[in-house]
Amino acid sequence: MASYWDKVDARWCTTCHSEHQPDISLPGMVTLQGDYCVACHSTGDQDVRVNRPTHEGLTFDTCASSGCHNFHDNRALYEDFLVKHADQPWLAEAPIHPAAAIAHDHSVPDPAEIEAYLAKIDAPDVYHQDEIETHWAASAHAAADVGCASCHAPKSESEAEIIANWVERPEEAVCASCHRSESQTFAMGRHGMRRHPEIAKPRDTERQLKLLGWKKPSDAVIATLEAYLNDPTPAPKMNTAEARVPLIPSAHGRELTCNTCHAPHEQDTSYAAVDACLTCHGDDHSRAYRDSPHFQLWQAERTGDLPPGSGVTCATCHMPQEEKRGKVTTNHNQNDTLRPNEKMIRPVCMNCHGLPFAIDALADPALVAANFSGEPSRSVDSIDWAVSRVTGPAEGAKP
Amino acid sequence: MATTTGKIKAALVGVTLALGAALPASAQTVEDPGSIDLQTASDLLHLVMNSDRTVYTRMIVNRLQNEEGVIKASEHFMDDKALVLPAQMFRFGSEMVADETDAFSYSLLSLWPINKQNAPTTPMEQEGLEYVAENIGENYYGIEELGGVEYFTAVYADVAVAPACYTCHNDHKDSPRTDFEAGDVMGGVVIRIPLDG
Repeated sequence: MASYWDKVDARWCTTCHSEHQPDISLPGMVTLQGDYCVACHSTGDQDVRVNRPTHEGLTFDTCASSGCHNFHDNRALYEDFLVKHADQPWLAEAPIHPAAAIAHDHSVPDPAEIEAYLAKIDAPDVYHQDEIETHWAASAHAAADVGCASCHAPKSESEAEIIANWVERPEEAVCASCHRSESQTFAMGRHGMRRHPEIAKPRDTERQLKLLGWKKPSDAVIATLEAYLNDPTPAPKMNTAEARVPLIPSAHGRELTCNTCHAPHEQDTSYAAVDACLTCHGDDHSRAYRDSPHFQLWQAERTGDLPPGSGVTCATCHMPQEEKRGKVTTNHNQNDTLRPNEKMIRPVCMNCHGLPFAIDALADPALVAANFSGEPSRSVDSIDWAVSRVTGPAEGAKP
Repeated sequence: MATTTGKIKAALVGVTLALGAALPASAQTVEDPGSIDLQTASDLLHLVMNSDRTVYTRMIVNRLQNEEGVIKASEHFMDDKALVLPAQMFRFGSEMVADETDAFSYSLLSLWPINKQNAPTTPMEQEGLEYVAENIGENYYGIEELGGVEYFTAVYADVAVAPACYTCHNDHKDSPRTDFEAGDVMGGVVIRIPLDG
């Protein structure tokens, strides 16, 4: 009998995720051998086969198959949940994303209101541009009384103050001053990770060098390294040149800020939800989107042939919207539910699809690459196994 | 199975726990806090844990679920919009303590755990759980070494104090034992204090 710590010391992130080891990094940046589950779950009380004959003979690379286990939140699809949703049809009777339905259901502004708004624009004359102002006047920003100076010259009231404090290209902090939730979640994902609030401070330089085997580093070396590590200059914004996923050639060299996806004077969330993504992303799944049934639903929603919330955009799945007390927020952390992809089942897929179909679809890499044009070619057994534990003969409780 | 180690009093090996040592800094300090032996410290910690645990089980879970039937307790309390189970309540507390201090740790284990993670993992945990199950009313104390660190380890019986405890354990599909009755020892609270702390 040994403590689990002796096998895999999972109290430390670096036990499984050793930093900067690209040659041995598995999916999920795991740097352990792929059979790490077996270390604890094949003997004694933790042997998964004791109470689950269905698991006899399974190989170690099947633990994390879609619909089964993942290390960090392995209760996302727990047995009772599988049983509860075992009989769901592949598609709901009314397949509508409830939060998106609220978010997409907004009325067109009255032309008179737009005229009245344009008449009291607070930008200095030199910055007036009809096209920008017309776009702006129809936006939710205008409806919320956000004027030109609100972003270009914050906290300036008189015309003289506005002219004196005018910033032609406001920084992200201006957006974040109102869009706090979006800003916070953006910093959690790959696009905004350079501003992640919990990036660790550099560790003690001399001590780290000694741990690496450099017993007597000179003061000059330490000073140079510390000057580099403690440089107060903000980290450069994430750039498409640093992407680790396939991008289209014309996307290279672009920085990722709010404005990358949101044209600042237009409030075109349709652009942000699809076109902005496809301006950069060139992997199979992205390129197949415009031929997918999900895209057709989105087109039908935009033309009014289907109700709000019917369409499925890139953002519907990768930036899921959530409603709380009537207020809809959009998760700007695109990586939140990306890997392993079954994290997407509950917050995204199950708004429209049944659990069995969603599990099978996400477990089929070819279907994912084709952006779900087609049907799952495989069937994951997890739901049947979970049901069999409930309906089958009682497992022998030890006397 | 009263072993020598089972009866060791930490005071005999000359180790004491200074009150406040290694605990989060407080606004006020007492000039002469004195010190108490580890067994007494552990017994007092357990008294608080056990009292809170019993109150939650009897006055919240058993009353509202089993007697008045107004709300359920569920291991999937978020999805089911239900009360957290007494064992989960206890575990969340111990996790919060672990975030705050290394001065001691505690857990709720059992020889018949529904969640297999709560089975004993060290020989002393196994021995302690067997001891408190067989010697009603007694606690188990010992010294064990884990990962190069010596610990004072105490095990206290965890008793079925309300129908909510044994009905749930007897009915759960993952329970390895289904014949618990009121007053039975169902597991044990393990408190661990590092000796070099």
